[in-house]
Amino acid sequence: MRRIICVGNRYLPEDANAFRVYENLLTRELPPGIEVIDGGLAGLNLLGLIEGAEKVVFVDTVLGTGTDEGISVMESDEVAVLADQRFDHSSGLPYLLHMMPEVCQGVLPQVIILGVEGVPDQQTIEKASSLALKIVMENITGEEDFDD
Amino acid sequence: MTVKKIVNIPLNRVEGDLEISVEIEDGVATEARCSGTMYRGFEKILLGRGALDGLVITPRICGICNTGHLTTASLALDVIANVTPPPDATRIRNIALMTEMIQSDMRHGFLMFTADFVNPAYEKLELYDEAVQRFEPLKGQALFEVIRETKKILEIVAILGGQWPHSSYMVPGGIVSLPNQSDLVKCRLLLEQYQSWYEQRILGCSLDRWLEVKSGKDLELWLEENDSHRQSHLGFFIRYARLIGLDKIGKGCGNYISFGAFDLPDGTSLNVKKGQTRFVPSGFASSEGVDEFDQGKITEHVEYSWFEGDKTDLHPARGETKPYASGYEGKKYSWAKAPRYDGRPAETGPLAEMIIGKNPLFTDLLKTNGSSVFSRELARLVRPAQLIPAMNIWLSETVADGKFYNPPGEIINGEGFGLTQVTRGALGHWVRIENRKIAHYQIISPTTWNLSPRDADGIRGPGEEALIGTEISDIANPVKLGHIVRSFDACLVCTVHAIDKRTKRMGRIA
Repeated sequence: MRRIICVGNRYLPEDANAFRVYENLLTRELPPGIEVIDGGLAGLNLLGLIEGAEKVVFVDTVLGTGTDEGISVMESDEVAVLADQRFDHSSGLPYLLHMMPEVCQGVLPQVIILGVEGVPDQQTIEKASSLALKIVMENITGEEDFDD
Repeated sequence: MTVKKIVNIPLNRVEGDLEISVEIEDGVATEARCSGTMYRGFEKILLGRGALDGLVITPRICGICNTGHLTTASLALDVIANVTPPPDATRIRNIALMTEMIQSDMRHGFLMFTADFVNPAYEKLELYDEAVQRFEPLKGQALFEVIRETKKILEIVAILGGQWPHSSYMVPGGIVSLPNQSDLVKCRLLLEQYQSWYEQRILGCSLDRWLEVKSGKDLELWLEENDSHRQSHLGFFIRYARLIGLDKIGKGCGNYISFGAFDLPDGTSLNVKKGQTRFVPSGFASSEGVDEFDQGKITEHVEYSWFEGDKTDLHPARGETKPYASGYEGKKYSWAKAPRYDGRPAETGPLAEMIIGKNPLFTDLLKTNGSSVFSRELARLVRPAQLIPAMNIWLSETVADGKFYNPPGEIINGEGFGLTQVTRGALGHWVRIENRKIAHYQIISPTTWNLSPRDADGIRGPGEEALIGTEISDIANPVKLGHIVRSFDACLVCTVHAIDKRTKRMGRIA
């Protein structure tokens, strides 16, 4: 199973980008073997969804990436180094990704983070959704050229 | 495609912020204010929505306590619909909530609370290096263990709920998931593994042995009994906590409240005291003893909160949520209301449960030493020893493919409340339905009790009171304030500022 996990707070517009991507993806016909999950505010509890997955794309709101199109793609390590020293109830993806290699069982899947900047327009959400699908499908035999 | 590093990912996304300002005079905390800095407004969001929408929306109030809110919302609707869930539905609801509690107790203890054990203020202590090895943020061995094990135990909620995350399987009349024999076997196995880890690594002894500890003297004997006890994470916590004086700080207001939790299903073999209808009893404890709990005595004050209203001390069934941040500069200082019981502030959480439940160890600790950061945190670390045996019994009693739902009929009009203990203490939802819509929804969460602002009489909240009198030897590193605030396990993103009388902001614990 390959998973797109959208994290953030659907009730806070400035943190709801991933939820908007989630809703967008629900309107599409997904290829077999792809699961889209509203990860909400589950934090560390999302670790269980990484185990056993073939590939994981996290979608999250980000700030300060400076990209023109408002969408950025990062490897797990790039985000893990941003983990705060102290764990608290708001510890997000950096903390989870930092702990992941130490606490997850089995072979770790490739984990990619797709960041959506600011409070974007619907066109950017469409783009981010397509990109999340493209990334999660990459390297599946016969699906390299997948696009919406 | 442009690939760049991010410089910030938004924080504070769970429930909002908490800031605590402390005034220090001659090295002693003389004044404290707990300030919720973010307006949430779920009470407003819910108005006008369908009668059952609280089941979906309130679990999203918090990413940590979602089963607690789902349980409470279901209990309120049970009352409104006048329906009693079948015994096995009650068992499943109880087991799921207990799972969330035994997970969160360990995460708070070893991911949040003991992080302060490696504060530079303690680096000259004999046990410091060992504390670093166990609890250093991002690296400590205990952190990895706790995350690994608490990640697994949550699978019980996923299995019993039939969906995760955002399980909404609890409904008025019971549950709508239908756990089968295989599901129950998996849950028993997961609980067995968690219990085994908790006994070996946290307690250093069996649950039964720990439950023999019934006094402060017993605690000493237990600690010295063998290396397994002393070297367990609990044993180390006790030794280190005393070394740094956690048994001498953070006394609190001296009042305790529990709404009670876990309705006893018909036919259960679980032993409780005579007359008790819930596994965790309700009550209000003060220096005068433990009184019977009456939810009618709860009020919410807004005198010092950024809300307006004709009255400042309404019962939550009649409570108002009218945010108003202007015109009260210097007086109002929090977006949290100040809940009071019979006009008095009250602390809630595991320690309150132990005192109201007349647990002999904590009753003795309170009698001999008063409450403290130590007793508050100890109660949290050992609460799973009380919950796990009940979970085992209810899991073995549940009949696979049994009856889990009594249809409540359509909910058109009605009023009710759901009250329970969740991870951090007493949680209540007060709900009124009119013409199939939510006409009123008021929520009082545990942190609102513990870290409330002042009430209409100017009386401090329990957390504020616990900070008063604390000696601060290094204003640039007020670590004791951090211990005290964290001992309440605030379900808020917490920052602590220490400000001296000359308004010179000095230290910060983040």
